[in-house]
Amino acid sequence: MQIKPRQQLLDIWRATARVSYRDGWVPGGLGGSNSISDAEQLLCIMAPATEIPLFRLDQPDTVTDDVLEALRPLGDNLQIPQRLLRALYDYLHRYTAADKITPIFSGGTYFSPEQGGDKVEQEQLDMDVVDSFSISVTLTLAIIGFTKVFRQVVTRAALLRQVEEVEQMANRRLTAAMAGLLRSFTVNVFTADSPFGQELVRTVNQERRATHVVVDELRLALREINARLRDDVTIGSGASEGSELDNPNRLFECGWSWGVVRDAPKIETSAEVGEQRDGVAQNAPYLYFTTVALDAIQALSSERTRLLGLLDPEQARLAQSLQLRFELTRSYWTTIATFGSGRWPLEDLPWRATDGIEFDYFSLLISGMVMQSMLAVRATNANLRRVADVLEELANRSRITRRSTEPETAVGVHFPGLHFPLEGSDALGGPGLQWTVADISPTLFKRTLNLASMTTDGPTRSRMLELSDSIWQHLSIRVIRHGDDHGLWDWAAGAYAYLPNGGSQVSWYYTKRVVDCLVNAANVINEPPLRSELLLQIAADLLNEADHLYDRELLSGIAIRGEALRVDLERVGAELKRARAVYRERPGVAVAVAEEVLRKLDRLAAARRADIG
Amino acid sequence: MIIFATSDKGGTGRSVTSSNLVYRQALQGKDACYLDFDFGSPTAGAIFDLSDVQAGSDGDGLHSYLAGAIPEPRRINVWAETQRESLRNRPAGVGRLTLVPSDRGRGEFPSTPGIVQRCVELLVRADEEYDVVLVDLSAGRSYATEIVLEATARPELADVEARWVVFHRWTRQHIVAAGSLVHGARGILDIGTAHGHKRAELAEKVRFVRTAVLDPAASDQAALRPEQLVWLDVCNMRLKDLAVTNKVGQVKLLGIIPLDPVLQWQEQLLTNDDVWLHRTANERTVNAFEDLAKKIVDVDAWEGL
Repeated sequence: MQIKPRQQLLDIWRATARVSYRDGWVPGGLGGSNSISDAEQLLCIMAPATEIPLFRLDQPDTVTDDVLEALRPLGDNLQIPQRLLRALYDYLHRYTAADKITPIFSGGTYFSPEQGGDKVEQEQLDMDVVDSFSISVTLTLAIIGFTKVFRQVVTRAALLRQVEEVEQMANRRLTAAMAGLLRSFTVNVFTADSPFGQELVRTVNQERRATHVVVDELRLALREINARLRDDVTIGSGASEGSELDNPNRLFECGWSWGVVRDAPKIETSAEVGEQRDGVAQNAPYLYFTTVALDAIQALSSERTRLLGLLDPEQARLAQSLQLRFELTRSYWTTIATFGSGRWPLEDLPWRATDGIEFDYFSLLISGMVMQSMLAVRATNANLRRVADVLEELANRSRITRRSTEPETAVGVHFPGLHFPLEGSDALGGPGLQWTVADISPTLFKRTLNLASMTTDGPTRSRMLELSDSIWQHLSIRVIRHGDDHGLWDWAAGAYAYLPNGGSQVSWYYTKRVVDCLVNAANVINEPPLRSELLLQIAADLLNEADHLYDRELLSGIAIRGEALRVDLERVGAELKRARAVYRERPGVAVAVAEEVLRKLDRLAAARRADIG
Repeated sequence: MIIFATSDKGGTGRSVTSSNLVYRQALQGKDACYLDFDFGSPTAGAIFDLSDVQAGSDGDGLHSYLAGAIPEPRRINVWAETQRESLRNRPAGVGRLTLVPSDRGRGEFPSTPGIVQRCVELLVRADEEYDVVLVDLSAGRSYATEIVLEATARPELADVEARWVVFHRWTRQHIVAAGSLVHGARGILDIGTAHGHKRAELAEKVRFVRTAVLDPAASDQAALRPEQLVWLDVCNMRLKDLAVTNKVGQVKLLGIIPLDPVLQWQEQLLTNDDVWLHRTANERTVNAFEDLAKKIVDVDAWEGL
């Protein structure tokens, strides 16, 4: 891999600390300050600190020197956690309503009007959005993990109070975010001959068979998901549609809408989550927000969350409900994306959503869900290879691995990004709003690396690692080079020279995603290398031969005669021992050692022949 | 401010580091005073290169004063009396640099109310006269330590800023011993508490300084083989963990003094001439002294978690 996570993460930390800390944490950046961007900015530091042991900041005793050096603008090993804590406190405080309880999950400046120039109302900017629920889950889990460890070394009463206050606020925000996610889940039921139904059938019917057969087969394939949606999804949004599912000729899709769904019932909870505001979002899933929500829910059920006991009982109850929706959604989209016995709908690029919008980017989001399912069911290498093909194709089509010298529409996905309308966002007055996504490269990178670590097939793995290298190269030329924010992202003109050369301001949206990529890469590197059966075989055979020759050399008694020879043979013995010790884990190393031993032994053998001629 | 310097064992470089600290304080413009409480083996005279008190003063030192034999201990103006040429050229703008030596050929003695009273008077006076007073105690658990713990618990010294710095080397034995000297049975905290200090407050006033630390990352370690560097790195990690369990981790760390060839061979003050003119000492070492001298009097650096 060309990517060097530790060095590159430290570079990003250095730049983030430099840009963000000027006598206090300064939120901002390209997208302006809002509940998502500010969380993304904090996660640029908090995500590696949470995920990678070497980057931990919660134990001031064990922080490594290079980390301290990178975060110098934040102070020394004692000041860094305190100042971070202050920044986290400010964030939690800034996004709490005036009643001092209700957390705010507004999209703010990330919303834009569908028609440029329309004035967006303040009520619209204040609307809760799933992206904010999700990132809040990630951030608050990081915070709670941080405070739980950090408080153990704190003795000063004032500081301890601050730690406790931050933890309490983070817990409240976490519960509220989970409630928000439960109220944005949606099941969209439609008949097979409605426009939605026709689009869905077109997508799954890759073999162009009779529609009624495909509908029946699809209903059959979705039967279990259908049954669980009906019986087990009982709280939050998406519960009332369950009964409709049994009607004949009905199809459905499930996932997350962009915000709290219109008429979503309130979540009954014993925890303090403040006011649960009414929703306005369309009752239909959006692929982007579905993926974002799935990522958050995965963090809720991660090993770290369970091991550290980050959730209280009420949160664990909500998490269980979310986990159910997670599994149903993942299975649903996997069933759709891999339906039929011929070409998968996923392989038919670009993916066309049921509302008729089609993007390559959607194919990437769907691949992510398919891969998550494959991880759960231990998919075969053949199936993983098919997803690998899709990822490679996506990298080509979005001009990440192919050069783009002329202005072309394919580059729009990187800059200015894809826009999609948020149906229902005009319910409070004002124009219809849209959401912008431009993270295809980092997302593709993440998926590529995930796939590389999932497969046990050597060639597929190398292909994916090569692809991830190319994507990283693409990402690294998009880093901002000039101005105050150098060292951070995103500067699309670095990759596509004809794009406007403006934008030298940091986008925390993008930088946070690059950080995620690096964290992912660090995790992959930390896994043991893929063992090749062939190498294992060769190592075993080589070791056998080397052992045998060595034993013969000892038997010949030559070792007793010369001091130099004895030392030499002892060293050979030590090397063989080392090779034996590692050959199961690292057959390549064992081969290298055995070869050297064989060459040394052969020199002795050759020398004997010299006398005889 | 009064700084009590102690160490877990002998040979940590406590005296030589303390002397250099006081010297740096004076160079930074502060009036600094060094009280040699290492009654068993007074060495400060040698470090400051004062010919007539190489191994302690003769009957007019701290030992005699505390025992009640003389009304005032002798004070030596180091700038004027040192034999070292480069020290005698006292630069403009520097503060006073005073050594109060101990007596030669004496030993430790247990504390009595009279001794403690005289110790209190000495410290109060020194604190009034100087910006920084460094009290060099002997290694390990000693009577001297007990005397000053008793003295600092007295109301006369209640308003005086008192700090404890424990010097230890960066090895397994020293880490364990340093932790035990502070937190262990009959350690500083135990004895301090017995004499009326509040344990938590006293603990907040203790910091550690690691001496003679081999930094694998430093450029002058180029002579080490890669395998040695890898191993050093592993050792370092283990020591860090050990330090945390013995409560001498980075949270309580005030400074790190690197291993220096000059100090390895000879206990002395490191002047700028040693670095720039003779080029025998390492710049890193002097920087470390310089930083430590600043940090030790910086109230923020002592703010704990």
